[in-house]
Formats: sequence, structure tokens, C-alpha cells
Amino acid sequence: MKKVVEVFLLFLLLVFTPHAKGTGNSPPGKPTLNRCRSPEKETFTCWWEPGSDGGLPTTFALYYRKETSETVYECPDYHTAGKNSCFFNKNDTSIWVNYNITVVATNALGSTFSDPVDIDVVYIVKPNPPERVTVIVLEDKSWPFLRVSWEPPHKADTRSGWITLVYQIRVKLEQEKDWETHHAGQQKMFNVFSLRSGGTYLVQVRCKPDHGFWSEWSSTSYVKVPDYFHREKSVWILIMVFSAFIFLILTWLLHMNSHSLKHCILPPVPGPKIKGFDNQLLKNGKSEELFSALVVSDFPPTTSYNYEDLLVEYLEVNVPEEQELMLEENKDLHDGCLKSECSTSDSDSGRGSCDSHTLLMDKCGEAKEEERQTDQERMGTEAEDMVSPDMSSGRVKTWPSVFSPLPQYSSNTLDEQSSLEMAKQHYLSDSQFLPSSTSSYLTQPGHGTKEALGPSYWEFCLSNKQPHLLHPQTQARQQLQAHSDVDISSIGRKQAPAGLQSPLLRPTEYVEVQRVNEEDMVHLQPVVSGCGQNNCSPQMPQGEDYSKVKGVDSDNVLLLQRNMMEEDRLKENCYTSSTVTTTQKPTAMPVQDEMVLGMNGYVDTATMCILPTY
Amino acid sequence: MKNVWFPSLTLLCLELSMRVGTAPICAYGQTGCHVPTLADLFDRVIQQSSRMHGISSDLHSEFEQYFFPSKNLIGKRKCHTYGILTPDDKENAQRLGREQLTEVILRLLGAWGDPMSQLYQSMSRDQNQDFNHYSSNKALEISDMVHELRDGVAKMTEKMKQFGVLGNTVGNISPESLVPSSALSSYTQGEFNSLDHHDLLYCFRRDSNKVKNYLRILKCTTLPGLDC
Repeated sequence: MKKVVEVFLLFLLLVFTPHAKGTGNSPPGKPTLNRCRSPEKETFTCWWEPGSDGGLPTTFALYYRKETSETVYECPDYHTAGKNSCFFNKNDTSIWVNYNITVVATNALGSTFSDPVDIDVVYIVKPNPPERVTVIVLEDKSWPFLRVSWEPPHKADTRSGWITLVYQIRVKLEQEKDWETHHAGQQKMFNVFSLRSGGTYLVQVRCKPDHGFWSEWSSTSYVKVPDYFHREKSVWILIMVFSAFIFLILTWLLHMNSHSLKHCILPPVPGPKIKGFDNQLLKNGKSEELFSALVVSDFPPTTSYNYEDLLVEYLEVNVPEEQELMLEENKDLHDGCLKSECSTSDSDSGRGSCDSHTLLMDKCGEAKEEERQTDQERMGTEAEDMVSPDMSSGRVKTWPSVFSPLPQYSSNTLDEQSSLEMAKQHYLSDSQFLPSSTSSYLTQPGHGTKEALGPSYWEFCLSNKQPHLLHPQTQARQQLQAHSDVDISSIGRKQAPAGLQSPLLRPTEYVEVQRVNEEDMVHLQPVVSGCGQNNCSPQMPQGEDYSKVKGVDSDNVLLLQRNMMEEDRLKENCYTSSTVTTTQKPTAMPVQDEMVLGMNGYVDTATMCILPTY
Repeated sequence: MKNVWFPSLTLLCLELSMRVGTAPICAYGQTGCHVPTLADLFDRVIQQSSRMHGISSDLHSEFEQYFFPSKNLIGKRKCHTYGILTPDDKENAQRLGREQLTEVILRLLGAWGDPMSQLYQSMSRDQNQDFNHYSSNKALEISDMVHELRDGVAKMTEKMKQFGVLGNTVGNISPESLVPSSALSSYTQGEFNSLDHHDLLYCFRRDSNKVKNYLRILKCTTLPGLDC
């Protein structure tokens, strides 16, 4: 059974194999007319694509039929246009006539017809590319441009108007990739602008009839644009250079005036200036020079009045004696003071205040503060109460330190107390200088006779005032004054290492601060404790005959002023005394002169006026 | 009332009967107008004919794409202008001469005035199809252009006669005598279908091309210049 099947299969294979091959034994494949073209609308050519070959030599034939007739014609020319083509010459070509064309492939086994194609020559025109394309470089106001000119293809008869062609140009640089296409219309010449200098351009032209196909591009024309210098560019370059130059100049000017501009825009902030401070010295590192420069010549003070300034700070009017002492000391200070501030030429000296903006009382300004404090402590202390040596010493101590360098006194040989005494003496002598109508002379006590000084002082005091001015009260006051003077001097002598006897303490009249009014005026009033040796009836009306502190000036000097009642009388004394003192030597003991004492027995502000100018 | 009614009606009738000529430049040489030269006339006519051909070609291709996607559906048709003998070759056309060439042009243009109008009317009537709805304007434009071109060529012919370029044999040709009435009657009767539309468009496209080409030949023969 199987063998039968196998044999049968083999037989089938043998039969059908030759049929399966079919290489040369089949009719040809179907050819296809792929295109027909007419270059000038007078002739045309058709090309076809042959189909599969049947293995046998195949021949092709083209048959066409015109629209108007039924006659079938065969292609007149198979060879002119090449293989598988049919060329229709002018005689066979009719325009505006439909051609029905068919290609037939034939071989031994059969023939195959292609699909028919209807064509109208008018619509299959594809001209040849334009000919004789020429490109030249021309200049338009120093700008170069290309002028392209060409000829239509020689076959296309445009002259009779049979064909109308439109043209197209394309340009590109040699190294670029993209073309630049321009439509030229029917003209045969075209200008290309916007060229790059020094570049090589490629130009091509093609054409097309009104309704047809574009021709192929003409052969490339090469043209090189020469290098040119743009006039406009040169102008721009000049402008750039010029502006850069101006910019540089402006920058330089700005730099030159940067300092003043800086001051204009950003004014410097004024900083503190230290007189005598030199930055350079600091930078140099010479600190000594720097600090020496800082040192003001008048600082620290070396003159007398400076010392007196210092002295003022330490003074206290604590106890009556000491107060008087202080006051007298202030007076002494003031005597020694060379300050011309004491307006001896005070036109208002009639006031009697001699008031003192410049007087010793100013210096007591500082002491005023202490006065208040100490006064509160010691208010009501009796006459016998002596200021503790410490206090006095404390006060007195300051004397020497301040007083010692007083040159005008020229009391180098004097010890501290003696200087004090001297001051006192001078003070007293100053008061003696006060000219008064009465001339009472005092014998100047010697240095050693300090005790004798006391009585002399007494006398001095007593005879100070004018007779008519003298009241028993005032006399008493004077005495009191003298007492106080003596006391002061005695106090001063306490410190003397020379073993000076302390003078007999007489009942003294001391001043106590009554009050300090709102005007910072210290009202001093005598505190009546007891009677002294002499008349001590210091029944003074309170609040009358006392010196008022007018004020404290800038130098912390306590300004005292006399009671207004006595001022007038002492005006002259004040004034005259001042003039007299100028003629006296400091060391001389002006015994002859009188001493003007305050009528109230207190601080004689009249004498305050006097500032002996040595 | 009657006195007013009758003159107004007369004016209205006159206005309707009058046809507006498309002569932008005064052709009769009125004062203040620029009288065109023969070259200008030629240029205008050629431009017009070229435009007309372009529109008709577009319309035909659209028609083919819409209705007959498969190409080459050209049946055995005959255009109604087959009676007009036209040169189908350059030599034949050159051999014809100016006068005959002008006559051919005029005949062709005259033969297509009415059919195009009818085509437009037919297309506008048949609103079912979108193609007719959107493309009927082109048919209208074509019909107008045909009329304008015919008038323009007539004027140009007159001008040429004035210049002595053309003989006096040309002219006075009525369009109806050129075209066989049988051919035209087929168009005047009944309605057109799409095939008729297609045939008309095909025939017109070819004839417009002929006109354009003949005009160009006429120009280059009469006025050889830069364009030729």
C-alpha cells in the first residue's frame, strides 16, 4: 500500500516539475508605461517598464490611438529614445489630442498588454534646462551683486510664443548646504544681492512651461566674489574707535577728579579732632612725641592761680573759726591771686559787692558744698569748739601744698604756717593798703612775733574804717574780725613745728552758714557764743550783716557779696584800696596803711575786691 | 402718478438691460483716461486667458479627484466645439495667419459662454453634492471670464484693425453660427449629470489652453518683443 502511494507521488512530481519551473515558457509579464515626456511640445517620448520575463525572448510593441480616429498606430520609433521607449516625432505628434497608448509584450508563449494610458501632449511638457548660464559680479554703490543671465533651451520655441517658460534660480555659497531659490518669471536675467565678500557662489537655473514639469537644473556656474571693504563698516569702525577714545578720556578725567567727586557725592563725615594730635606720630610709633604733643602747655597748671584753683577744691568752711579761716584764706588766696579777673576797675564798685565774680568767694564755691555738710554737722557748735586738728589740719594741710609754690610771695624761707601767716599778713596788709580817710597805721609785726601780730591786728582792724563809719557795733565786729583773724592765724600756727604757742583762745565769733538760698547763696551769720576779751557784743541782726554767697562761678569759686547796706560806704574803700596795693611789695609790711574791715565784722568783702597785682 | 411711474420704469429697464463692461480703462478714448496700447491689450488678454485656464484646470482636477478617483477615465466623448477647426500643431498655427487665428479665438470664446453659464446653473442647482456646493463659484467665475475675454479680444481685434495689422475680414462673427446648433442643443436640453459636468470641464480646459496659446502666438507674431 505504501509503495503505491510513493510511486504515485513520484509520478506527480515528475509531471508537475517542468510546469513549476516555467522559466522560459510563460508569456511575458505585463509591462507598464511609466512616463511620457515632451521637451518642446512638438515631440514626445514614452518609456515603459517591462514586466517579468517569461524566460523567452520578449518583444515589445507600442500602439496608440488618437482621440479623433479609431485607427491604431504603432510606435514609429523605438530606438531614438533608448530602450523600451517610443519616440513620436513632429509629424506624429498632435497637440490637444488625446493619445491612447498601450504597450504589448510578446514572447513565444503569448503576449501581454499593458494598461492603456491617455495623454495629452500639452500636459506632459518638460523642457530641457536653460542654456548658457552666465554669472558676473557687478557693483552697486560699492556693494557687489551677482547678475545671472541664461538662454532658454534651444529646442523650446519661445520666440514664436508656442511655449512660454518661467525660470527659477538657486544660489548658494560653496561651503553651505542650503540653496537660496529665486523665482525669475519669464525674464532671462536675474540679480542676486546680499553677498558675502570673498565667497564662492554656485548658481543654477531651471525652467517650466505654464502647465508642465520643471526641467532639470542647469549645470553649476561658479563665481567668486572679490573682497571688498565696506564703506559703511569703515565708518562704523571709526565711530567705535572715536567713542572708545572719548570713553578713555572720560575715565581718566574721572580718575583725576575722583577725590573731589568723592567729596561731592560722599562728603566726609567730620570726625573729632584732638588738638595737638598728630596721626603721623602715631603711625610712626613714637608715642612719646605723640603724647608730649598732646600735652598742653598750660596743663598741668604751673602758675599760681592754677594752684589756687586746686586749693579751692579742698577748702571747707566747716567750723566758724575755720570758716573764717577759710574765708580769710580765701582772701589770702585771692590776694595772692594774680588773676586779673578781679575787676578792680569795677565800675560798679560802688555797690560794694565787688562782687565778685572773680573774688575769692568763687574759689570757695567748692567749699560751699562742704560747708553745707559740715555746717549741718557742726551747727551750733560753740566757740570753744575747735575744729579738730584733723579737720583743721586737713584743711591747713592743703595750704602748704598749694601755697608753697606761690611765687609772688617769694616766701621760700617761710614755713607752711608762715606762708599762711604771710598770706594773712598780706591779706591784712592788703587791707592796709586800702586807702581810707582814716589813716591808722599798724606796726607790722615781725615774723616771729606772731602773737604780737594779734594785737597789732587788732589795732589794725580797728582803725581800718573811717571814723564816721565806725560803729561800736562795727568795731566790735572788727574786733571780732580780728579775733577771728587771730584765731585763724592761731589755728594756722597749730601745725607749726616750731612750737609756737597757741594763742589764747579768745572768744571768737565764727560764722556759720545760715542757709543756702535757692540762688545758691550761702548766708553766713555770726554765731554768738560768748564774749571775748574785747567787746564782743555781736548782737547782730540776723540776716543783716553777713556776707551772702552770691554764687559759684565756673571755677567753683564761692562768690560772696556784702550786705547791701554797707556796700555803699565801702565802695570807695574798695576802690581806693585796690589802687594802693599795687604799689606795695608783698614782703613789705604796710603798717601805715589801714585795714578795711567789713563793718559787720565778717568777711570784708570790700577787701575782697582788692587783688593786689604784684 | 402715471407720469412718474413710466419714466422710472423705463430707467429701471434700461439699467437691467445694460451690461456692465469690464473695461477699467476707457476704451473709447474719453478725456482724462489712459488709452491702452495694443501691447497693453495683448498683455491683459493673455493674462486673462492664462488665469481662466488655470481656474478651469483646477476645477477639472478637483472634479476628477472627487468623483473619479481612478484616473484616465476618458470616454469616447466629443466636445461640442469639435466643429471649430483649430490648429493642433505649431506649424499649422503659424501657417494659419493672424486673421484666422483671431477668428478661431473668437469662435472658441463665443462657443463657451453659454455652456459655462449652464454648467454653473446646473452645479448650483444640484446642492446635494458638496463638490457642486463649494465649486460652483469657480464655474461662475469661469463663465464671467469667458465673456470678458471675448469682449477683450474683440476690442483688441478692433485695435489691430486700426493699426492695419489685421485685415477687415475678421469680425462680425456671431457665436451661434460658429457652433453647430445640434451640439449646443444637447446642452440646452435637460439637466446635466456629473458625467456631463466632467466632459464639459475637460473640454473647456483644453479649449482654454488653445485660446491661451493662440493668443500668445498672435502676440508674438504681431508684436515681437521681449516676451517672445
